[in-house]
Amino acid sequence: MIQPLTASKIVTQPPIKIRVADIESGLNGLWAQFNPLINRGQTVMRACMSNLIIYCDSLDEAEIISQELIDIVDAHPVRVILLIGKADPQNDSVEAYVSIYHTTQPDGIQVCAERIDVMTSQKSTDRLPSVTRSHLIGDLPTSLWWASRQPPPDAGDIFLELAELADQIIYDNMGWANPIKGVNAMTRWVASQQDAQVVYNLAWRRTAVWRKLIGQVLDPLVAPDALDNIRQVKLDHGPHALAMSWQLVGWLACQLQRKPSESQSISNSEMLWKFRHNDQDIKAYVNRLPEGEPLLYRLTFNWSLNGQERKTKLERLDQERISIIESQPTAAPRVYSGHIPQRSMLVSAQLAHRDRDKVFERALRLTSAMSAIFSK
Amino acid sequence: MQILRVQYGPGFYHGEDVPGYRRETGVAQSSVTETFVALKLFIDNWRWAGVPFYIRTGKRMPKRVSEIAIQFKSVPPILFNADLDQPLDANVLALSIQPNEGLSLRIATKLPGAKLKIFPVKMDFRYGSTFGEQSPEAYERLLLDVMAGDATLFMRRDAVESSWVWVDRILNAWADSGSRWLPEYSAGTWGPLEAERLIESDNRKWRLL
Repeated sequence: MIQPLTASKIVTQPPIKIRVADIESGLNGLWAQFNPLINRGQTVMRACMSNLIIYCDSLDEAEIISQELIDIVDAHPVRVILLIGKADPQNDSVEAYVSIYHTTQPDGIQVCAERIDVMTSQKSTDRLPSVTRSHLIGDLPTSLWWASRQPPPDAGDIFLELAELADQIIYDNMGWANPIKGVNAMTRWVASQQDAQVVYNLAWRRTAVWRKLIGQVLDPLVAPDALDNIRQVKLDHGPHALAMSWQLVGWLACQLQRKPSESQSISNSEMLWKFRHNDQDIKAYVNRLPEGEPLLYRLTFNWSLNGQERKTKLERLDQERISIIESQPTAAPRVYSGHIPQRSMLVSAQLAHRDRDKVFERALRLTSAMSAIFSK
Repeated sequence: MQILRVQYGPGFYHGEDVPGYRRETGVAQSSVTETFVALKLFIDNWRWAGVPFYIRTGKRMPKRVSEIAIQFKSVPPILFNADLDQPLDANVLALSIQPNEGLSLRIATKLPGAKLKIFPVKMDFRYGSTFGEQSPEAYERLLLDVMAGDATLFMRRDAVESSWVWVDRILNAWADSGSRWLPEYSAGTWGPLEAERLIESDNRKWRLL
């Protein structure tokens, strides 16, 4: 009956369809299958650190998340409530399934996740918060992973009601159809939270390696006066990575204490922002490449020092490496590890962190100021 | 003592549409019977001096659960709790009466590793899960005790009467107020916003049950 899903040590069973009112008793029934082990003196241990509410739009998205859940619960045991908003169930307005994930230990079984799937049609999504509310485990932190490609505040009441249940909101602005509108809506919503919740963008975590490298190559010890004399930044990204690229530019402007003053669309694939400080402009070009993955590919800084033009280029070589090439002929190219963790790893790492990221929030505000200027 | 009383209105319960209390079969449309009460009170003796008691009970709430939770005092703002912007969650001992008899202890714990990250964890003991079978329902046990003549688990008459003296005062005050309408909360929720405010005014919040 128990079938391994992958090579992972985590195993699960096929989900069981169940009435919504019987979800807890259904889960208890899954637990009860281990009673013979207890009677033989073995240990059955339940490990659960958080509630994880996941909202996605379609069964296809839910299938991808199902594969990722194995990695997530392996790193961070949780009760998962997976909500599928546009599933169009056959008979009922709301359909529910339960399953558990467990590992076999030398002295018994460890249940590391209980999973509740709830699916409904688009017109019945308002029923989902009531089901969720009834099945959160008390006294544990609750995270909402907004896995829909719709920017959270644009989804309306379903997002707001689910967010009310959560201590932490995890979202991903990768692939948003309208990044300008999405970034603005998200910033307004975050500002209205009055420090109540931790809000985290997975795309922000994906830029971590770039932020670290930028900090290193522009460090005053390595490149004296570079930070004060940057004239131009050029960033190339793959399709669906615009919001992430903006946020990186927003972070950089934030760190340099610059404010956006002007913007223009240069072509269908390139935008320009100007950041002004002490009568000096920094021009930031953000260019979408015609093809590729939703990643940052290239970042070029131009600055002048004592009348001499300098240039530093950071370029993604492959999934694992980023090179740094500087204009001085004496400086040899360098290669750094640029590994980007899978989405499941980003989520599981974030579940264990409950601190607000003030740098992210400042960058988000500046990104919003950029989009406001662009919208004028 | 502060008391809040309200009635449930229409909403979603376990994903289903449910009517408000006054639309339920057999309930008068003009009923002012409360379906949710939240109160804050103190016990006037030396043992419980300065300890607030918060009680919340209601119908059509997301879960059927009865618990007594003892929240420990906040730790001083030193070491792990030094960040005043993000104080640690309080440690809680919860005695679960039904439906899952047992107890749990929530404690703030340092995550493994070099970083100083604190995370609340919960140690949970349930009779049903641990011994592979549920305890008898409360009334099953009591009815058996009645037949056996064992009064150990029953309240004494003087305790019952003292309780009603206290409750009657509240009921009489409500009756005297002449209310013809009660505010509502949505069915399937943990009660009205006013209940949150009752406890948040003390910089506390209701636990997630």
